[in-house]
Amino acid sequence: MKISALFLFSLLFLTGCSNEQQSINKLSNLDGGRVFAVAAGTAADQMVLQRFPDAKLIYFNNVLHCALAVKEGKADATAYDLPVLVNIAAKIDGLRVLDELIMKDQYGFAVRKDDTALKEIMDQVLSDIQSDGTYEAMSARWFPKAGTPGPMPDIPENGSGGELAFGTAAVTEPMSFVGENQQVIGFDIEFATRIAAKAGKKLNIVNMEFGAMLPALISGKVDMIGAGLSITEERAKSVLFSEPYYRGGLAVIVKGQENTVAHKPFFRSIGNSVRDNLIVEERYKLVLDGLLVTIIITVLAALLGTILGGGVCFLNMSHNKMSRKIAEIYIGFFRGTPVLVLLLIIYYVVFASVTVTPVFVAIIAFGLNFAAYVSEIYRTAIESVNRGQWEAGKAGGFTNVQTFRHIILPQAIRHALPVYKGEFISMMKATSVVGYIAVQDITRVSDIIRSRTFDAFFPLLLAAAIYLVLAWLLTRLLNKVEISVVPERKRLQK
Amino acid sequence: MITVRNLQKKYGDLLVLKGINAEIKKGEIISVIGPSGTGKSTFLRCLNLLEIPDEGEILIDGISLLEKGVNVPAIRQKTGMVFQSFNLYAHLTVLDNLTLGPVILQKKKPAEAKAKALELLKLVGLAEKSDSFPHELSGGQQQRVAIARCLAMDPEIMLFDEPTSALDPTMVSEVLAVIRRLAKEGMTMMIVTHEMDFARSISSRIFYMDEGVLYEEGTPDQIFENPKRARTKAFIQRIRSLQYDIVSPLYDLYRLQGEIARFCEKHAISSKVSNRVQILAEEVLPMQRDHTSILLELSYSEKDETLMLECSGTGSPYNPLECKENDMSVTMLKALCEKVEYFYRDNRNTMMLQVRK
Repeated sequence: MKISALFLFSLLFLTGCSNEQQSINKLSNLDGGRVFAVAAGTAADQMVLQRFPDAKLIYFNNVLHCALAVKEGKADATAYDLPVLVNIAAKIDGLRVLDELIMKDQYGFAVRKDDTALKEIMDQVLSDIQSDGTYEAMSARWFPKAGTPGPMPDIPENGSGGELAFGTAAVTEPMSFVGENQQVIGFDIEFATRIAAKAGKKLNIVNMEFGAMLPALISGKVDMIGAGLSITEERAKSVLFSEPYYRGGLAVIVKGQENTVAHKPFFRSIGNSVRDNLIVEERYKLVLDGLLVTIIITVLAALLGTILGGGVCFLNMSHNKMSRKIAEIYIGFFRGTPVLVLLLIIYYVVFASVTVTPVFVAIIAFGLNFAAYVSEIYRTAIESVNRGQWEAGKAGGFTNVQTFRHIILPQAIRHALPVYKGEFISMMKATSVVGYIAVQDITRVSDIIRSRTFDAFFPLLLAAAIYLVLAWLLTRLLNKVEISVVPERKRLQK
Repeated sequence: MITVRNLQKKYGDLLVLKGINAEIKKGEIISVIGPSGTGKSTFLRCLNLLEIPDEGEILIDGISLLEKGVNVPAIRQKTGMVFQSFNLYAHLTVLDNLTLGPVILQKKKPAEAKAKALELLKLVGLAEKSDSFPHELSGGQQQRVAIARCLAMDPEIMLFDEPTSALDPTMVSEVLAVIRRLAKEGMTMMIVTHEMDFARSISSRIFYMDEGVLYEEGTPDQIFENPKRARTKAFIQRIRSLQYDIVSPLYDLYRLQGEIARFCEKHAISSKVSNRVQILAEEVLPMQRDHTSILLELSYSEKDETLMLECSGTGSPYNPLECKENDMSVTMLKALCEKVEYFYRDNRNTMMLQVRK
């Protein structure tokens, strides 16, 4: 991320690319030090350099930014997967995909190595649709020359044979994306639905990060994966691929003839953004669902962490050496591990063979992490209560528990709350990584919307604004609690 | 009521209490006095098991406190304790400080507990502060609330752990007055204190503690007028006088003068005389030749109200009063004192001054 940001910044100092409007029709026109926009974190830059050793590269966060850079004349070309570029060119005026490919590859669905039965069904369905003309209809539907891909046809499902869990990354329009009514649709989804129908199973779509698909398949979280997934030798070592169902490759987009004179600005007008990102296809529902998920995870994880943290703190402050050691290890482990890694471990390792919802996993992971932090907050708060208060309570005839409950705790809460509040809010913000285990929280929803509307800014700003408002509300709520534990408040009310 | 047998307490390897035997009867008021660090507070804190003794026996009404299965909190409810640092419950109002124990431990109705609390606050003169928080009160007021808080539990004995040591001198008397009042009402009390006049006037018995044992006990008159054992005698002697050792020429004069001022204040000696003594100390110290071992002793006799300042130093005989270079100082001494004497005793050059009133 940092490196790409650096490149974005250095972009400001670039004078842009060659301005001569000679038409580019084949790859050889791009020889000789042309400027290529590439998406950071993909293999496209290496492949471009293999074909065009003199090319100058500028990096962007995603392919959409690359395409817009080409359109704005900041780059001569961008290289990416063929169907994605075709889809972008169909939607954004003034861009053209070259017929010649830098490199060819093919897409396939993957199943676990031992799941030969499912592979047979996949291949059977593929040969069926190729022979009966369905494949052409699908191509026409999902790879239109202009406009939006879709809609999804009705395919009769027969769920008698159970469920087929299909892992996909619904940010790869037109292969797999979130369309109208917040449904995941696309070429791959239609293909997967047909496979499920053939197998007599009900398709269960699990929307996750692209990078999470392979581990999810291998660990048994899903039965089949696909989202414009290239068949490579390396992947074939660990999974079993279907026959290739789509032949594409690394294509190049260049500037074409613009039909309209109107120059769309990088930042689109707010009104348009609101309409495209929220109203069209009722995407605001997606946002609300994401908001709910974020709130549920935050609140339940905080609840779990607050209680568990109390337990850890109790162990940590006990006279027993063993308990203290346990607490120390717990705190050391959970404070020392990134919560994202913890999330992945719990999802893929701890619950590998158990079916649990990812939201549950997220609550557990954040709860465990939160507990480690708050247990230390509790400890310092309790220790900051004067020792004399313990003595006064005990000398007054209270048992240890009564002393803690009536004398120490009310004072410790006052010390703990200001720090607890900060920890709570940083935990809320940290939940933005749950997309890694296929949870659709606000951040993930903004990704999904971004991948559809090609509007990079609005969804992200919206997500930021929502987090900001959530943080503000949480702070206000906790401030209320804080005021309620100030002793002098009682007198003010009188 | 309380019998203590061979009580021992260790902190690590350090034996603080080396076997204490004592008997406390109902209605007695016992002051525990003695030098610092001799285990007075530790002894007191053992009586309600805030410190767990390592050896020995504590019997309360015949029941052993140190046996397993004894309900310690129940015993503590009957044993009120007042701390040096007050330790009021910081998050509760004065009133709630008094009602918390009765409501939770004695299951009293809140209204009943409140009525009694207000009565007790009247007793200690703080009824109008019932809605205040501890941090809003002065130290003396806090300590009086702490006493009332003990009383709210109807204790059978009250333990005072240096109740005035953390107070400004101006506030000591208000706390002592409350304790005096309790004494009059027949409360059984045990008080660790450095207030000797108070201890003498209020106590039915004095425990003098030294070297980790109950070194000598007796009535106030026995202990203060006719102590039998050597260390008691030395201690009683010392509290009547101020002793200051100087071991190098780089002594801290201001600290010495501060202690002189405090000593005079304690014995109600006028500030004029106090200043006089401070000047004398400043003049008399440089007159000694050897500064490696000077002893300065200020003693006050209540009988004839004389104030003596003695300054002695080691070295061969030499009379500073007859030395030419001290002329100025000697004139000054003579002006400020009734009597100025020199003598050589125990290999020390000693000047004896009786301060003018």
